[in-house]
Amino acid sequence: MGHGRRIRLSLMPTDFESVEVLGGEEEVSLLEILDHVLNSGVVIHGSLVISLAGVDLVYLGLNVVLTSVETALTNLQIEEKRRK
Amino acid sequence: MSRILAYCGFHHAAQIALPSSGVSAQPVQLMSSGELGLLWSEVEWPFVPDQMQRSAIEFHQVVRHVFDQTAVIPFRLLSVFDDRQALAGFVAENEERFLVDLERLKGFVQMECVVYPAPGQAQAGSSSGKAYLEKKAVTMRSSEGFAQAVRNAVAHLGHDVRVREGKNGTRIFVLVERGRESDFRQAVSVLPLPEHLSRRISGPWPAAEFLSDQVKAPQILGQKPADQNIAGQKIAGSK
Repeated sequence: MGHGRRIRLSLMPTDFESVEVLGGEEEVSLLEILDHVLNSGVVIHGSLVISLAGVDLVYLGLNVVLTSVETALTNLQIEEKRRK
Repeated sequence: MSRILAYCGFHHAAQIALPSSGVSAQPVQLMSSGELGLLWSEVEWPFVPDQMQRSAIEFHQVVRHVFDQTAVIPFRLLSVFDDRQALAGFVAENEERFLVDLERLKGFVQMECVVYPAPGQAQAGSSSGKAYLEKKAVTMRSSEGFAQAVRNAVAHLGHDVRVREGKNGTRIFVLVERGRESDFRQAVSVLPLPEHLSRRISGPWPAAEFLSDQVKAPQILGQKPADQNIAGQKIAGSK
């Protein structure tokens, strides 16, 4: 089970190319923030157990983070255009 | 179902201003043990997937609030405790280790430089397996060369350097004295970079990459330490 979670976390936003394609500092910062809050710092073993109890939720959650980032970036771009 | 979400640990002092609200607008509370302070909130768990991005940003803002004033040890989002008692047990168990790391990292921040294939380079020339592997080897050599150049360029201001090879690039982490972030940016941004590579500099961040192993994956009463390689990434080298 631990292995499964590891794979999923490795899918977190480190896709630098797609970051670059999206462009703009705001967007990069957003992805970097997500990367740091999810991948850097203290890992609580107890939380793994909790997360693993709802493995699909964790997977879904992380998956949705990526989706949401894309959605957010699109929205940011639309907002930018509106401002101009 | 509610859980206790831990944000970060820090050397608690009266002059440090604390944030009032955190993830999902929940009040941020302080738990202290000796000189160690730890911020936490009671949150609904698991997070609503649609709110994950917002939660991540709110989490970051809490950590950032304290990090702007002093060194912090950040927890990872999605790390929660069952209840306040579990958190208190954790704090008591790990107070000393946390304080040792905080003392060691006091006055430092983490700066980062990521080197990755320039846009359009990842797919270009990868029509065959051989071409792909050759291109990958060239990129790896170039990245390693650049990482070494960064080490040399920041030798006067970097107290520790770690390099991590990821699937999509090389990440170079440098422990820099707080206040010298712009020196780091200047030193790294002028380094020549091979045409097929791009760089991105970021920071300051909490020095999470330089935490001791015991603090990164602390043991909770009655449980084994967490897997160090949880993010599926490999530490390629250190200082």
